[in-house]
Amino acid sequence: MPNPQRPLAPITPLHQDVAERLADAMFALATPSRLQILASLRAGPLTVSQIIHEVGMEQSAVSHQLRVLRDHAVVSVERRGRERVYTLRDGDVSALLDHAYRHVLALMGGDAGDAGDARARREAS
Amino acid sequence: MSTAATPFPRSADRRSALDRAHIGDIHGAFGSVECYDTGPRLTRRRQLRTMLAILGPGLIVMAADKDAGTMSVFAQAGQEHGMELLWVLVVLAPLLYVSQEMAARLGAVTGTGHARLVLERFGRLWCAFSLTDLLILNFAILVTEFIGVALSLSYFGVSRYLAVPLAAAALIVVSATGNFRRWERAMYALILADVGVVALALIARPSPSTISSGLVPAVDHGAATPMLLLLIALIGTTLTPWQIFFQQSNVIDKRITSRWLAYERIDTAIGTAVFILAAGAILIACAAAYAHVGPRTGFTDAADIARGLDAHLGRAAGAIFAIALLNASMLGAAAVSLSSSYATSEVLGVKHSLHRSFTDARVFHGCFATFIVIAACTVLIPGAPLGVITTHVQALAGILLPCTLVLLLLLCNDAQLLGPLTNPRWLNVAGALAVATILGLSTMLTLTTIFPAVGLRDTLYVTLALLIAATAVIGLTMARAQPHERFDGGLTPWERKTWTSPMLERLAAPASSPARTLGLAMLRGYTTVMVVLLLARLVTLLAR
Repeated sequence: MPNPQRPLAPITPLHQDVAERLADAMFALATPSRLQILASLRAGPLTVSQIIHEVGMEQSAVSHQLRVLRDHAVVSVERRGRERVYTLRDGDVSALLDHAYRHVLALMGGDAGDAGDARARREAS
Repeated sequence: MSTAATPFPRSADRRSALDRAHIGDIHGAFGSVECYDTGPRLTRRRQLRTMLAILGPGLIVMAADKDAGTMSVFAQAGQEHGMELLWVLVVLAPLLYVSQEMAARLGAVTGTGHARLVLERFGRLWCAFSLTDLLILNFAILVTEFIGVALSLSYFGVSRYLAVPLAAAALIVVSATGNFRRWERAMYALILADVGVVALALIARPSPSTISSGLVPAVDHGAATPMLLLLIALIGTTLTPWQIFFQQSNVIDKRITSRWLAYERIDTAIGTAVFILAAGAILIACAAAYAHVGPRTGFTDAADIARGLDAHLGRAAGAIFAIALLNASMLGAAAVSLSSSYATSEVLGVKHSLHRSFTDARVFHGCFATFIVIAACTVLIPGAPLGVITTHVQALAGILLPCTLVLLLLLCNDAQLLGPLTNPRWLNVAGALAVATILGLSTMLTLTTIFPAVGLRDTLYVTLALLIAATAVIGLTMARAQPHERFDGGLTPWERKTWTSPMLERLAAPASSPARTLGLAMLRGYTTVMVVLLLARLVTLLAR
């Protein structure tokens, strides 16, 4: 697993192909239900039924979103007996989630009255 | 009224996309439209440039529709009945345009392919039904395309064992480059040679009076039965389910949003005109070539037509027909196979775009290659019953078409999906009539294919009864569909024009009604019975 603290080369100039791949990775994170699934995986590996229990969505919806996440190499899957266990692919994905979450929290803290999403406010508190 | 609807042009991005590659700038064969460049096109020049960039899905789907099967049937119509069936084209043109426009609109507004929309709005069972139907039928059509490739190159003396693998390899390479513009240019190159058939009509020099006589339906009582069968085959090969799946997904993949719907409608209209002209030219040329030749029932296959045109209209005519057949078969194979792989990948939820290379979208391109290779291999099996396959494919297409059209109509009435862009009422009435007619005709075709001994009159009675039942069911289903006018008003004209669907997961569940469920179940039951009958017939034919 790559070290999230590993120093990176500066990303400018960003090559077109790399920008496309980056946008693909962000696309995988760009749906509320997929973010909820990823957030549930933040604490550690989960089976599909555990994810369903955590996020409270229908089984077919969870399976579908997990397939999208796997197709975009955001989560990885491992078979344990008859169950499939999902994990965030690496520390970078966890870090990405944490930073995005912190970014949004800071925005909502500064302007909490406008952030009308009750669920987000509940999670923030 | 002001000319500029908004001070700042709104982004033309969709709110919902299954693949990120479906969002962004349009890169057509003849130009680009940046995703932020959505302002009004005020000069003719700008309008033309935008049109050239958008042009594509409609033109390609219609050119691909004039595939190997269609060319054979229209050639047969000309050879056996002269100009008598030319009027069918006049009836087919609006049907073709209307069904394809609905598919294009669904694609542009929802950003979700047809198979996936059926999954989201009708559930897993219906999605499984329509996906299996599509894949089985597409496989059969794909086989006929490769038969077309083999026949056209056999005219030039090329062995099918060389022609078919080469064609298959070319198709796979062109789609897997990961460059939409390159793919579209390759398709245009095929279309260019393909519309060469229009020259056949000029070579044939028919008199205007014979053409106009063909535009009036005439019933010759002696030849009514074979002519009716041919008529049904003409419709069955012109309207097929894959076209709806293909155009909807291709519009999305080209990144055409509701902002460009007016241009996409023109694209579809241009495509329809190209189809009608090309198909008409084949019919006219074959009618003229065989006008003074003895018995007119000698249709065997398309290669034979090419040799006949060579003999009666000159060497150029035969060559033009054979080249057009090759190009049409290649185009058809590309589009049919793409409709399969788009649909499969949409339902699976994996990346599916011609903007992506083979390594980036393995499932999508892998499906495409697999379908092509299996169909090509089938054609190369020595002694494969290709003739039987070709005749039964049209019957199968006819049986499965009503199901697809009904689902299309229902989706186009879903206010959650299309908001202010749902079907107007007149379109629903026209659509329901078209479905009922096709249902009736396909029943006749199927019954006569399965029971050749039964007379046409008996078949007609059965069909009429079914037709009445079908109309009643469709009427009930449509009555429950949400009317156009009920959509919440208060939108500016610009907002109405550029409305896009919310994200799929935020849509409210579709309202279920017993009438709708019953209607769909009856339609499915009918389809299943017909398919089983057809398969039984096919098995007995092959066992002989």
